[in-house]
Amino acid sequence: MGFQINCPNCGFRDLYEFKFGGEVKERPGPDADIREWRHYIYFHKNTNGIHEEWWYHTFGCRTWIQITRNTATHQISRGGRE
Amino acid sequence: MKKPFWKFCEPKKSYDALIIGGGLHGMAAAYYLARDYGMTNLAVLEKNRFGYGGSSRNTEIIRANQRAPEILPLYVQSIQLWNELSAEVEWNFMIWMKGLIGLAHTVAGLNSMRMRHATQTNLGIENHILTPEELKKLIPFLDISSRAAIPVVGGYYHPPGGSVRHDAAIWGFMKGLYRQGVHLCPDCEVTGINIDHGRVTGVRAKVGGSETTISAPLVHMAPGGWSSEVAAMAGITLPVVTLPLQAMVTECVKPFLNHVVISELYFCYCQQSIKGDLIMGAHLDPWQSYKSYNTYEFASEQAYFILQLFPDLAHLKLMRSWSGLCDMTVDGAPIMGELPVKGLFIDAGWGYFGFKASTACGKNMAELMATGEMPEKIRFLSMDRFYEGRMVPEVYIARS
Repeated sequence: MGFQINCPNCGFRDLYEFKFGGEVKERPGPDADIREWRHYIYFHKNTNGIHEEWWYHTFGCRTWIQITRNTATHQISRGGRE
Repeated sequence: MKKPFWKFCEPKKSYDALIIGGGLHGMAAAYYLARDYGMTNLAVLEKNRFGYGGSSRNTEIIRANQRAPEILPLYVQSIQLWNELSAEVEWNFMIWMKGLIGLAHTVAGLNSMRMRHATQTNLGIENHILTPEELKKLIPFLDISSRAAIPVVGGYYHPPGGSVRHDAAIWGFMKGLYRQGVHLCPDCEVTGINIDHGRVTGVRAKVGGSETTISAPLVHMAPGGWSSEVAAMAGITLPVVTLPLQAMVTECVKPFLNHVVISELYFCYCQQSIKGDLIMGAHLDPWQSYKSYNTYEFASEQAYFILQLFPDLAHLKLMRSWSGLCDMTVDGAPIMGELPVKGLFIDAGWGYFGFKASTACGKNMAELMATGEMPEKIRFLSMDRFYEGRMVPEVYIARS
């Protein structure tokens, strides 16, 4: 286990420098009701496979970045390498 | 010829109820449906082998001293049921009520323990707050000196806690189910859930290489870490994220540790099994993963933590490590109840603490499925709580 995330500012870095930020979701519109917001915050597709996700470079440049990773194999198809 | 304790079979075309997931939660639900409600025309469908997931990847601890008062009665019932099972099934579940000891290393940690202690005492659960000297009497190997990086300042002792041999539990339930005529179907992967006009009518499953339809008016999902995948078959999104949990055992040594020991600050725990090895775990990797893996980072971190508590173990070798999948909710409490589809039930979101509660979960889910009435003990745990904003504050160990 172990992979590197390609940070646009810092280059390839070990995943332990990052914090996982969950899956990329579509944010509800400005007139969304509380139920839609709660669905957006608490509910996840939790995909077993190709997954668009957020990571935060805690021990680096402290920016949020998006990568595409297979959650079943940890292969990164966008924004990183094994 | 010895008579077998259980036999497997292929599923029939129709049943009174189907259970998806042959882990402890699923099997317990089937067991209590058969025992308490006479529903024996049941099948437990398992994708791999029975007990493949979290049921055999846990660290086999039972306890009833979590935080949320909404859920504590469920754990109390669970311990009672674990203790009844051996005689009922005529199978040794190897229950060992050795007591659970939690260590606090800061004043804030000790205060949090006192708060939980008050909740537990109020509900009649036995728990004691101890000083480091009292802890040392219970665990002679514990280092309470100021040599540790962050010394022990106190702790709790929870006598009803202990361990149940997890393999024995899986086999015990299989024996209990087979004896009551419930069908046990391994290598039977559910690929779809059939719904007609908002009512569940059965499942589609791969049996022996071909897909068949099995009909049933009641379907219960207890798929552990794979809960989102199974719920998605019914078009339902769950409020869970699947995270991997790692655990490991050392080589066997003579008995020296008579309790389960948990350090709440170092976030590690260990217990010595009957065999003599030390089982340790508690590291939940904070990223989504359906892959089981073990890391050097985990092993070295756990070893460091354990040595802070027990410096004498410095030369003990690690024998094995493994990992399991945990479907975590944001409040750390499970999701139990009927779903928006009539006749479709779920018992999921148990994360890293599902083992201890499996008996009571089975009993309450069986009651819900057979009577249609939500049992008192799980009434706070339905999925609606996430939409209604009434969380069950179970997480006292913050997710990073």
